[in-house]
Amino acid sequence: MTLAGAREGAMSGIRRAVAAAMARDLSAFVLPGPSVARAMGLDLAGSHLRLVGTPRHANLLIVTGPLPAGLRDAAAVTYAQMPRPRAILALGAGDIAPLPDADVSAPPTRAGLRSGLADLRRVIAAGAFRTDSGEFTAPALEVRVEYTCPMHPEIIRDAPGDCPKCGMTLVPRETASDGHGGHGGHDMPQEDRPSPAEHAHAGQAEDAGGAGAYTCPMHPEVISDAPGKCPKCGMFLLKAEEGESHGHGHRHGHGGHGHGHGSEAHGAHGAHGAHGHGDHGGHGKQQDHSGHDGHDGHDGHAGHGGHSKAAIDGIEPHFMSMVELTEGQPRSSDGLQMDWIEVPFGPFFPGLPAGLRLTLTLDGDTVAGSEARSLVGRAELVDGPQMTAGDFVERLAAMMPLSSVAYRTLACAAIEEAAGADPGQDARRGRAAAVERERIASHLGWLAEFGLQSGFLWLAARAGALQLAVRDADIDGIAAQAGAVRALIRRVAAAPLMRMRLRRIARIGKDAPASGPVDRARGGGSDARAGDPTLIALGFEMCVREGGDALARLRLRCDEIAQSLDLIAAAGRIAVPEVPDVETVSGEGAATIETPRGTARLRVKLTDGKVVEAELDTPSDVNIALVETVTAQRELGDALAAVASLDLSPWEVRG
Amino acid sequence: MSILVVLLSLAAGAYALAVIERWAVHGHLSLTGPAWAALALLGRESLLARKSDRLFFELGPVLLLVAGLMAVAVIPLAPGLIITDLATGALFLNAALAYVLVALIMAGWGPNGAYAMIAGWRFLGQFIAYAMLIVMPITAVAMRAESLSTVEIVASQEQLWNVLYQPMGFILFVVAAMGLAWLPPLDLPDATGELAGGVEAEYTGVRLAVLRLARMVIILALAGATVTFYLGGWLGPWLPPWAWSAIKILAVAAAMLSVGRYMPRIREARYLALSWKLGISLALANIFVVGVIALVVPI
Repeated sequence: MTLAGAREGAMSGIRRAVAAAMARDLSAFVLPGPSVARAMGLDLAGSHLRLVGTPRHANLLIVTGPLPAGLRDAAAVTYAQMPRPRAILALGAGDIAPLPDADVSAPPTRAGLRSGLADLRRVIAAGAFRTDSGEFTAPALEVRVEYTCPMHPEIIRDAPGDCPKCGMTLVPRETASDGHGGHGGHDMPQEDRPSPAEHAHAGQAEDAGGAGAYTCPMHPEVISDAPGKCPKCGMFLLKAEEGESHGHGHRHGHGGHGHGHGSEAHGAHGAHGAHGHGDHGGHGKQQDHSGHDGHDGHDGHAGHGGHSKAAIDGIEPHFMSMVELTEGQPRSSDGLQMDWIEVPFGPFFPGLPAGLRLTLTLDGDTVAGSEARSLVGRAELVDGPQMTAGDFVERLAAMMPLSSVAYRTLACAAIEEAAGADPGQDARRGRAAAVERERIASHLGWLAEFGLQSGFLWLAARAGALQLAVRDADIDGIAAQAGAVRALIRRVAAAPLMRMRLRRIARIGKDAPASGPVDRARGGGSDARAGDPTLIALGFEMCVREGGDALARLRLRCDEIAQSLDLIAAAGRIAVPEVPDVETVSGEGAATIETPRGTARLRVKLTDGKVVEAELDTPSDVNIALVETVTAQRELGDALAAVASLDLSPWEVRG
Repeated sequence: MSILVVLLSLAAGAYALAVIERWAVHGHLSLTGPAWAALALLGRESLLARKSDRLFFELGPVLLLVAGLMAVAVIPLAPGLIITDLATGALFLNAALAYVLVALIMAGWGPNGAYAMIAGWRFLGQFIAYAMLIVMPITAVAMRAESLSTVEIVASQEQLWNVLYQPMGFILFVVAAMGLAWLPPLDLPDATGELAGGVEAEYTGVRLAVLRLARMVIILALAGATVTFYLGGWLGPWLPPWAWSAIKILAVAAAMLSVGRYMPRIREARYLALSWKLGISLALANIFVVGVIALVVPI
């Protein structure tokens, strides 16, 4: 067997030793994420692997379960970021293009993982270096070069040249290749020509100001009596007046202008701010600047007085002063001016739910804006015109890898309701216990993710191991693990710095719509189990925490784990529901269930025993809308902790 | 000769630390693990990020290593076993470790990646938190020894180790040292769950190996400084002096590496607030108390 991602080079003696070391020391990056792998029952942490948080440090890419279409491109980019030699292990992944074919494929089971890793070690040891190793470029990473003006970002050309507006030399920049389609629009001729209004004004300025010096908008020290180009940067020289009225005027300051009554004078000039970055106005104009009075009369230009308000009282505006340079640019809440950068987090970011694409606009390290999007959102529930009940249940369960038991139970309950069937009291108790078991596993998985995100590695390891032990344990298995789980909860409650880390983070008020633990951690809220007679008979009482912050959510999840242990013990049996037999029934039914993340509602319509219509409301649909609120104006680390505290499942979000 | 011995013990110490770190971070205790990992790293591609600042990118890890080695130069392992016994050793240690900040900002800026860049700047904030708390406890130590020489400082603890003489200074220094070495829970610049490796995120292959080695050296230097300043350096009964140094330094380093495993990472704002409001007040109080004791009870 050969390794697709081998490093180039002949297999010499020393390389053989290095290859053996690589086969031993596997650093794995997991797609879609370790949390999904654990929910599938794969114990990656216990497989003599090192799980790393960035593809740069990995030599093995593990793909667990079918790779959703929305993640394929990002997966290819991840692979391209890994240093060679690199390998792919696909565990029940199916088609993974545009990733190259997996070096080793195995079924997504514990045995499959074991044998797959053993095979992979052999492949790496034998083929880490090859003279004919191929290249791989992720389609999303292909770039092309385009040319743009530093002053006029709307000018974009395919070839080098000068800016038609200011004559500056265009500078190259790289852009994603898929931008080709929408690119044509940039070359619209009317974009490049100065607008009629501008021309008009330039003329007025000339009339008003008389024969003045020409100067460069970028280099005020360059002064010339005749129009021409700046010897430094090649921009057209502008008359002093025009320079100011032009969008970039804010850079060149007009040394002689005092701080006078900016508002009137500027109101007149403001119309030319239409140039995109024309928000100057920090400098007012002195009254005795001859000819300027004329501008005040231009009623047509009025209405922009607001621009001059930005001048800060008591601060003398000067050439290149920060007040002027940063005029009109977005400003942080603390009034400081910093570069804003847009940083993508996810869909494979360690410490965020796998499949979630969080784009943060960062102002320094403070979040100025955020956008959360699921790349694995659910598709239509009913595939095709109709589905058998069995297929429907399996499909819904497979769509929600993080809580498949709850959605399976929900689907069965809704179909039974539609068919008028009754599973019986014992089955109901068994199902309730199965859902509670999944709740324990899911909350433990959340604790593990939180531990990973916050660097609480003991918690990550311990909660992850317990999640794997609990997720398919029988009633005795749960009883055997109960002590360890309760000990973990006590340990979490007592961990130092925990309060400091989470208190007052991601506070959510009582009026914002929320579901599940997020809802109940703000002193009230709803729980679908409160209306379920089976659970009430088992002794269910809704857990509530005060505070509405990330700490309250952590504590509430711990409370719920403890409560679920009691409920399972009271139920006495665990039974994942079987698909109900609905041969030829027609009808409509709805069911509600409290999944680990909140309340889910499903309505199905049966025709002749086939599911023809289905509608689902999920908790993550509700909670994903909270991301913007909880991240706004937060420090980056706090913002990520805030998003994690919502425990979103991107799979539940409508695609 | 002593230079060679110190460097060899440094290499051995760095390896031992790598074993401990693997256990602390990944939960595997393996004596050969770091050797395999290092060999595997050397065989991997060492990628250069696109549009990187090549100079900063290449120099960051090297400068970090140099800073660590310079700091090690003034740590005495036994009487006479020190690279250079400077009269201003304690000050020199502090000066050498100041380059850690420069190196990390360079390494963060160099690769032109958002995560690394934010991480580098985060460390600048962290510097403001730990810097005073490294210097001020050292001041109190030097006051007792009446010297800045690290050898003199160890000798001054013959009667009573500084950890008992000025326990407050000990705690402040260890916490600040963990901040300097960006160890969890103060690992803001390489926070895996927040910045996907941060400063380390874009380094691969040999460059990553250098970066990791440099960090081990810095941790060792700081553990060595803790032992020298507070735990009596090579002093101890029965065993030879070098053995005491080795045991103490590894124990301190192991403690610093593993304590963060049991708690979440601190918030940056909180860290700064605590360092300045609480830390510096305590450090001043420590200097005052040590001054009074030194005047009243000469031990």
